[in-house]
Amino acid sequence: MDRDLISKKELLDTTGISYGQLYRWKRKQLIPEEWFIRKSTFTGQETFFPKDLILARIDKIVNMKDDLSLDQVAGKLSPMLMDYELRKAAFAERNIVSQVVINQFAGKDPDHTVYSFEMLLYFYVIDKLLQTGEMTMEEGERLLTVLRDHFPKFEGKPCDLIFIRKMGVSSFMLVSSDAHLYFDNGIKVVAKLPMVELIEQLRGKLI
Amino acid sequence: MTGESGMENIGLPDLTVNGVSDAVGGKYGNVRIDGVIKVVGDIEAQSFKLNGVIRTTGNVKSESFECDGTLKVAGSLRASHMRMNGLVNVEGALSGERLLLNGLLTIKGDCEYEHLEGEGGFDVDGLLNAGSINLKLQGRGKAREIGVESLYIRQGAKSLWSKVWKWLFPRFSPELRAGVIEGDDIDVEYTKADVIRGNRVVIGKGSVIGRVEYRSELKVLPGATIGERVKIGD
Repeated sequence: MDRDLISKKELLDTTGISYGQLYRWKRKQLIPEEWFIRKSTFTGQETFFPKDLILARIDKIVNMKDDLSLDQVAGKLSPMLMDYELRKAAFAERNIVSQVVINQFAGKDPDHTVYSFEMLLYFYVIDKLLQTGEMTMEEGERLLTVLRDHFPKFEGKPCDLIFIRKMGVSSFMLVSSDAHLYFDNGIKVVAKLPMVELIEQLRGKLI
Repeated sequence: MTGESGMENIGLPDLTVNGVSDAVGGKYGNVRIDGVIKVVGDIEAQSFKLNGVIRTTGNVKSESFECDGTLKVAGSLRASHMRMNGLVNVEGALSGERLLLNGLLTIKGDCEYEHLEGEGGFDVDGLLNAGSINLKLQGRGKAREIGVESLYIRQGAKSLWSKVWKWLFPRFSPELRAGVIEGDDIDVEYTKADVIRGNRVVIGKGSVIGRVEYRSELKVLPGATIGERVKIGD
């Protein structure tokens, strides 16, 4: 999928911010490194940004910076997750997750419900595991609860989702990515998914 | 980031090393190293005082960092307040709040400081991103890209020290070289750049600039050559 990009020059013209501000926000990590996309053009090297992401982000910073210091603003913007929101109807339309998942797990939400990036991520993870045939619908419900209750606690730090089964009894856990885990022989690790990777995949599909 | 000092460091051991030896990385309160020392592994401390020839195999992190002599960091160096005299070479990135430079700084990655001032030369392979840069060049200043709020570059005055500087950088005349310079307030001399983009731009003698894009003001002093000047409209 081709991203909609905006050049640095256009960005400054549209938003009215200066080079100094842009570099300052980069130093303060308000704008992630990966959003600076360097490309060769006929005028030499130019920097581009994913258009909708950067415009949303700058809008947010500009609105917050009157009341908060830049360091405080940085605390409000998670480095890993985007300030991305999507209505249920639009989400369903884009076929990012299967219709089954939307019906089963978001069936009760009205069409105009706005999902945060995290919520979209949970649906995406569930869809992923259902597609492999390794997880049942009921387990999916439980996984959703686990993600909802515990994933935000990592505050953007890398973590893995681990799905194990022993004697037919399944269980889910979230552990930080640098942890070593060892199980007894009766346990079968059904899936070990690095959340960072899933975030990247989902981000790629959304942009 | 910055505010995490204080309480956390109380009770951490100090590290003092003299002579010629290895030191082990880790978390310390105050680190004092004199001599020819190799630090093995990542090292983090409230304050560093380094004298001599020091080399680390990992990353370095500190609130206050003073270095006299030569330092080679195999990883990244994060030093909130850094003062250097001599040669510093960082394989990764260099970042912090305030850097007082006296000597030659070589960075393979990006360099990010809120304030960077001093005298000497630098070579940044990546992006040099700073709030304010105020430097007297005694040797060559080089960066792929420079992004700033304000940039002030002058050629250092000829002094007794210039002999020492010539010895340090035999091949390089004191000038700034960059692919792209972007900032709000740019005031440079003896600068060679492909493109300068800014709000208020002053180009001094000895400069050769391919293209200047400015928003509010451009001043070109005698002895500067500019290929193309473009005023960017509001």
